[in-house]
Amino acid sequence: MTAPTDTTGVPARPRRRSSRGVVLGVVLLVAIALPFFRGLPAYNYVLQLGIVLFMWIAMTSSWNIVGGFAGYISLGHNVFYGIGGYLSGLLLVYAGWSPFATAVLAGLFCLALGVGFGLVTFRAHGPAFIISTIALLLMVTIFFDNWEFVGGSNGISMPLPPFPVEWIKVPFYYAMLVSAVGSVYLAYRIAHSKFGLGLRALAQDETKAEVAGIDTRRFKIAAFALSAFFVGVVGAVWAYSLSYLRPTIFFIIGVAANMVLMAIIGGRGTVAGPVVGAIVLIAVNELSVVLFGASELNIVVTGVILLGVLLFFPLGIVGTLREHGKLPAILDWD
Amino acid sequence: MNELQVLILGLLLGGVYALMASGLTLLFGVMRVVNLAHAAFIVVGAYGAYFAFELLGLDPFVALGLIMPAFFLLGMGLYRLLFPRIEGSPRFGEMTVLMTFGLALIIEGLLAFYFTGIFRSVDPPYATQAFILGPVFVPRAQLYASLTSVVLLMGLWAFLRMTRTGYAIRATMQNRVAAQVVGVNVRRISTVSFGIGMALAGAAGTLVSFIFTFFPARHWQWIAILLALIVLGGMGSLKGAVVGAVVLAVASSFVSDRIGPTWAPMTFFAALFVTLMVRPRGLFGKEIDR
Repeated sequence: MTAPTDTTGVPARPRRRSSRGVVLGVVLLVAIALPFFRGLPAYNYVLQLGIVLFMWIAMTSSWNIVGGFAGYISLGHNVFYGIGGYLSGLLLVYAGWSPFATAVLAGLFCLALGVGFGLVTFRAHGPAFIISTIALLLMVTIFFDNWEFVGGSNGISMPLPPFPVEWIKVPFYYAMLVSAVGSVYLAYRIAHSKFGLGLRALAQDETKAEVAGIDTRRFKIAAFALSAFFVGVVGAVWAYSLSYLRPTIFFIIGVAANMVLMAIIGGRGTVAGPVVGAIVLIAVNELSVVLFGASELNIVVTGVILLGVLLFFPLGIVGTLREHGKLPAILDWD
Repeated sequence: MNELQVLILGLLLGGVYALMASGLTLLFGVMRVVNLAHAAFIVVGAYGAYFAFELLGLDPFVALGLIMPAFFLLGMGLYRLLFPRIEGSPRFGEMTVLMTFGLALIIEGLLAFYFTGIFRSVDPPYATQAFILGPVFVPRAQLYASLTSVVLLMGLWAFLRMTRTGYAIRATMQNRVAAQVVGVNVRRISTVSFGIGMALAGAAGTLVSFIFTFFPARHWQWIAILLALIVLGGMGSLKGAVVGAVVLAVASSFVSDRIGPTWAPMTFFAALFVTLMVRPRGLFGKEIDR
C-alpha cells in the first residue's frame, strides 16, 4: 500500500509534508556523515552513543509493531535480541562467518521463531499473553544458562573484529544506523497499510475486528514475527561489538523493560513515538550516570518514569502532543 | 532419593507456593489486576523477617504477626494511590501489568541499593533440623512453613465464606457490575482485597525467608513461577491456585531429583505453555478477559 490519500482536504498538508521530508533527510545525512569527522571532540564517545541510540530505536520501533499497533505487550522481546546475538556469534566462532553478514540470517531466524511462538501463545489474550512472554524469556534463559556448547552461564568469547583500532566503531555505527532506519521504515509502511489498519482495529476490539473480516490470529502472528526481525539483527551486531556472548547481557528483563518504557514514553502505537522515546530515555540515562554514577538507583528511575508516564501521560509524548494539536509536522509520521 | 521422599518435599513446597500465589490470584479475581510486583512484595516481606530476626531477635513466626498487618495497611494505601486513577481505562488489565511492572522495578532497585545483592536467609534453629520417620526425613522449617500456610489459607477461606465482607468480595469476583447493583461498595471491597492480597504476600515472604535464600532480583523467578501456577489453576480461582501449586511443586521436585535442580523451573513454564495451548482458562478458571 502507498501512503493514504488525504481526504480531509486541508490545503496546508502537502507543503508541510515535503518540508518534513527535507528536515528528516538532513538529519539522516548528518548521521551518515558523522563518522567522517574524525576531529570531533570525544569522537569515540559520540559514535558509541550513536550505536546505542540506533540500536534502541531499532528495538523499540520493532517492539511497537506488536506492543503498540496490535496492542499485545511482550515483556520477553529480548529473547530475540539474545538469540540473534548467539546465532551470529556462534557462526563466527565455529564457522568464521562475519556477523555483519549473518545478522540478516539472525533476523530471519528470529522471524521464524516469532511465528512459532505466536502460533502457541496467541490463543491467550491480554494478561495471559503478557505472562507467556515473561515465561518464554525465563525458559530461554534457563536453556542458555545450562547449554554447555555455548559456555553456559559463563558465556563464550568471540574473535575481535578485524578492523584498525581507530576505525573500529565505524562499521558498527553504520550497521546500527541501517537497522534503525530499516525498522522505522518498516513500522511506517505497516502503519500506512491495510495490515496496519487491521492491527489497530484488533487492538481496539478484537471481536469486532474479527466480525469485520480480519483474520486476527494471522495478523497477530505476522505482527509478532515482523517485530522480532530487527531485534535479532541488532542483537547480532551488538554481540559482535562486545565480542562476548553471555546470558546475563541479553536475557535480563531490564532489556525488555527498556523497550517497553521507550515506546510508552514516546507514544505507543505511533511511528515516531519509539524514536522520540529512545532519544529521551538515553539522554536521561546518560545524565543520571553523570549525576549519580551507575548504581541500582537507575532501575528505580526507570520504574518511577514508567509509573509516572502511565498515570499522567498514558499516550506518551507524541500521543499527548497530537491530542492537543501541538505535534510538530516533522514528527507526524502516522 | 526415593519416590516417597521426593513426594513429601514436593508437597511441603506446594503448601508454601499456594500461599505465595493466593494473594496474586485473589487480586486478579476481584479487580482484574495482574500484580507483577507481588513477588517483589514477597521479597520485601522476607527482608522484614530477616531484619526482625537479626536486629530484634524475633522468630519469623512472631514477626508474622507484625508483618501481616503492616502489609495490609501498605496494600490499602497503595491501591488508593495507584488504581482509582486508571479504573475507567479501556485497557485496564494491561495498564495494571505495566504499572506493577514499574513498581517491581522500583522495589527491586531500592532493595538492591540499600541491602545490596547479597544472598540472605533467616536462620532460626529449626531451619537446619529434620524429623526422621523411618526411611524418609521431613525438614522442620518446610513443615512449619507449609502448616502455617495451610492455616492461613483456611482462615482466608473461612473469611470469604462466613463474613459479610467475604460475601461482598466473592460477589465482586463473580460480577463486578452486578455486585455494585446490589449495593456492594466495589471501591471499598477492592481496597480491602488489595490489603488482604498484600498481607498474604507479607506472610509468604516471612515463611520463605527461612526456607529459601533471597536477594532483590529473586522476585522475577518467583513471579514467573506464581504466574505459571495460577494460569494452570485458572486466573482468579483460589482453589485453582492451591491445586496448581501442589501439582506443579510435586512435579518440579521430581524434575529436580531426576534431571537436575537447574531444570526444575522449566516444569512451571512448560505447564504454562501447555495450559495456554490446551485450555487457556486453566483448570478452574472462567474465560479470561479480553
